[in-house]
Amino acid sequence: MSELSDHSDTSFAPGDEGEHDVGARVLGYVIGLALALLLTATSFFVAGTTLVWQPSIPVALIVLAIAQMGVHLVFFLHITTGPDNTNNVLALAFGLFIVFLVVGGSVWIMSHLNQNMPPMDQIMRMQ
Amino acid sequence: MLGKLTWSAIPFDQPIPLVAGGVVIVALLAVLIWVVVKGHLPYLWREWITSVDHKRIGVMYVLLASVMFLRGGSDAILMRIQQAIAYQSQGYLPPEHYNQIFSAHGTIMIFFVAMPFVIGLMNLVVPLQLGVRDVAFPTLNSVGFWLTATGALLVNLSLVIGEFARTGWLAFPPLSGLVYSPGVGVDYYAWSLQISGVGTLVAGINLVTTVLKLRTRGMNYLRMPMFCWTTLASSLLMVAAFPILTATLAMLLLDRYLGFHFFTNEAGGNVMIFMNLIWAWGHPEVYILVLPAFGIFSEVVSTFSGKPLFGYRSMVLATMAICVISFMVWLHHFFTMGAGPDVNAIFGIASMIIAIPTGVKIYNWLFTMYGGRIRFTTPMLWSVGFMVTFIIGGLTGVLVAVPPADFILHNSMFLVAHFHNVIIGGVLFGAFAGFTYWFPKAFGFRLDERWGKAAFWCTFIGFYVTFIPLYAAGMLGMTRRMQHYDVAVWRPWMIVAVIGMAILTMAVVCQVVQLVVSIRNRESLRDRTGDPWDGRSLEWATSSPPPVFNFAISPDVRGEDAYWEMKAKARQQQFAHAQPEYQDIEMPRNSPTGFVCAFFASIMGFALIWHIWWMVILGLIGAWATFVVFAWRDHDEYVIPAADVARIDRANIEERRNLVSLAGSV
Amino acid sequence: MAIAATAGHGHGHGDPHHIGLVIEHPGPAPKRVVTGFGFWIFLLSDIVMFSCFFAAYAVLLGQTADGPKGAELFDQRNVAIETVCLLLSSFTCGMASIAADVRNRLWFYLAMAATGVLGLIFLALEFREFAALVARGAGPTRSAFLTAFFTLVGCHGLHVTAGILWLLTMMAQVFAKGFRADIMRRLLCFALFWHALDIIWVAVFSVVYLLGSTP
Repeated sequence: MSELSDHSDTSFAPGDEGEHDVGARVLGYVIGLALALLLTATSFFVAGTTLVWQPSIPVALIVLAIAQMGVHLVFFLHITTGPDNTNNVLALAFGLFIVFLVVGGSVWIMSHLNQNMPPMDQIMRMQ
Repeated sequence: MLGKLTWSAIPFDQPIPLVAGGVVIVALLAVLIWVVVKGHLPYLWREWITSVDHKRIGVMYVLLASVMFLRGGSDAILMRIQQAIAYQSQGYLPPEHYNQIFSAHGTIMIFFVAMPFVIGLMNLVVPLQLGVRDVAFPTLNSVGFWLTATGALLVNLSLVIGEFARTGWLAFPPLSGLVYSPGVGVDYYAWSLQISGVGTLVAGINLVTTVLKLRTRGMNYLRMPMFCWTTLASSLLMVAAFPILTATLAMLLLDRYLGFHFFTNEAGGNVMIFMNLIWAWGHPEVYILVLPAFGIFSEVVSTFSGKPLFGYRSMVLATMAICVISFMVWLHHFFTMGAGPDVNAIFGIASMIIAIPTGVKIYNWLFTMYGGRIRFTTPMLWSVGFMVTFIIGGLTGVLVAVPPADFILHNSMFLVAHFHNVIIGGVLFGAFAGFTYWFPKAFGFRLDERWGKAAFWCTFIGFYVTFIPLYAAGMLGMTRRMQHYDVAVWRPWMIVAVIGMAILTMAVVCQVVQLVVSIRNRESLRDRTGDPWDGRSLEWATSSPPPVFNFAISPDVRGEDAYWEMKAKARQQQFAHAQPEYQDIEMPRNSPTGFVCAFFASIMGFALIWHIWWMVILGLIGAWATFVVFAWRDHDEYVIPAADVARIDRANIEERRNLVSLAGSV
Repeated sequence: MAIAATAGHGHGHGDPHHIGLVIEHPGPAPKRVVTGFGFWIFLLSDIVMFSCFFAAYAVLLGQTADGPKGAELFDQRNVAIETVCLLLSSFTCGMASIAADVRNRLWFYLAMAATGVLGLIFLALEFREFAALVARGAGPTRSAFLTAFFTLVGCHGLHVTAGILWLLTMMAQVFAKGFRADIMRRLLCFALFWHALDIIWVAVFSVVYLLGSTP
């Protein structure tokens, strides 16, 4: 239970920054925007290109999307791994775990269900 | 102008719902007239309807649950009687009416009895146990309650205007789609759950934030009472699971209203997405209900055994383990629907694993009792009754978690018996234990023990007489939701079950009598000390009922069982210390936001059900405007001067000092 | 309460499990932290809701009922412009937060207005795309795939609409009341909401438009 240690007086609201200097804060958003635009451009490029091995494209797109979400979290939402952010990060981790279960579980279950017991209109088409 | 709504919506040709609805309306009107004539309306408005005090809101939640319990219970009686007489005959309920009754029974019991009951108890108790003055978002708390009430109102409205769903409590498509259910029944079901679901989500967010961010000084995580831990786990599940229900019902509604193809048989729709998603909500929901009950039993068993909870840390771990694993078992509700051996095996194993942390809890309670000086009060009886009953329910649960066994027992009366076994034996017993345990805290006097014990024994015996026969009938092949049947061997079991139902009805009568007798004898049952049970956690450290600010001075916690420690120290130190220094206390002001918002939500929900589009827009704008008006307030807090705090607190200290010195001299 | 107050001496005892130093919990968190955290929890629940629509989309992706597939429908250029709009609006939203923190009204209004305008451009583009699809017979009732597409993307669009409504309300509030503590808390929540919508959009354009149009 050590990760549930107490939040101290300095615990942060999600979205609040430790930095107070305006110039540094603006710079943070600029870096975030630049990285996000770069990753977005890469995603669009990868999706349309014929230069890379085609089956790797979906994987690449997912990796790029996750990277970009990370950029947004750190530079725009200021969710970092600092000790003052413990509760925020734990809540995020729980949420992501549920998202993973719902999406992954649904796709896995539904693919097996479709395999063994196809939906009605597919059965009709088979007949 | 009025969409689909015409005079034919009122069932003049069906006497049972019409008479029942009429009686309810007359009773409501009578109460309303009594309130207005007696001049209680300003008091109700000021002290209850607009209240943002977590204790008041908690009480209103429990009241809502109790009223809806009577409605859901009446449905149960109707069904049991029908099945007892509908052997080779049609019984007295036509199929379309019978189908509405079992759908309404399930929906009401889960969403409008069990949920508000546990949320109400959590609301009432958790801030007190954490030693704080209110929940994190008091006004939002009131909004959440009133939205839940809106959902309950819509369900009851379906009794007289239109119809309720005939689809079972989870409204599986394609039956619940527009093709097979063209009426408004499913719309009533879906919109009331959407609106009350928002309320539940709000309550969950509020409780998570309260537990994680608003603990008093020294209340470290591992010093929190067990009920706070189970509240945290349960409300985390609410926050994570209820959005799934919202999304799934939204898809169903899009199918019904706009001709979408999520769950239709045409154009590539797939009904199994609904089963999959609704159970991804539905299984965590079971633990949302039962985890708080586990917390209540932990408090009750430890208090009445006079011992700290055995294995506190293992209990915390077990709670959090259940919180996580409960999200990984949902497929066991549709083993038979063709996912195949790989998927079934994994979910079957996960379902059996979840029995382990639950077993840990049972042993912890038993070891807490072991060697303790046990007082068999009413809450303790409920707890012991729970342990016996819940183990049986848990074992039959592990049985149906085995996929091959489930292929035989799926959708049989065995399953019906199983989930009533865990929900009555777990959630309902827990709710009643918490009700009798915390009643003196909420109202300042204890409940009558004799009638309470009578209620317990009637429920306990009545439960077994009703549901053991259903296990047997299920083993004999009887499926659930049968309006009539032709198999002779089932009949005797149905007759025994109806006798059990009669005993359960007596139990409810006992509960009502208990309440009436206790209110009449409240002076002799008065709790002057705030600590009627020799309690261990902080809610007993303040007066009963607590002042609006809960604690005159925020408690400083130094260990587990915070209040027990304080009492022990106070005895040693012989009250050598001086008067505390009181300070002004800021409390949130009352606000009609919740009530007004729910008023517009009711209008919107009703209009959506009947396709009255102008009224939908009116309701939407009204709800948004309510929030803007609320956001425009300049003063959202008022100050209680230190002098008032001191006056209220000193009176309490006097009573308490007498108690502790008496106990010290023994 | 005297008992509560008097018992607060003699540290460290009473906790049977404590070994060595126990850091005492300091008490309730400040209001800004409480509000922000509560809203953070709400956002996570909102993301779970989106995950259901994503799951439905992933399952129904191939169910086109002999209708058009994603590759035939999606206009990458339009999506790219929408994405740039949202990314820029996230940036201007961040600028508005900074302006509010330094109590600079002019920059606050400018940044918020820019955020709102970018959001409106995004909505207009999305609306145009939807209208064009419906016009060529590829509306949500055409196939299960299109049903899932319209619901997922439309749900995000509804969130942006609500966000713009909130944005206007917040501008009016700052105009009427100034940068009061409670309004600053609401601005924090608004910024969180707006940035979170951007994160969801990243998932939408990656999964729906880019993955959905790979052959």
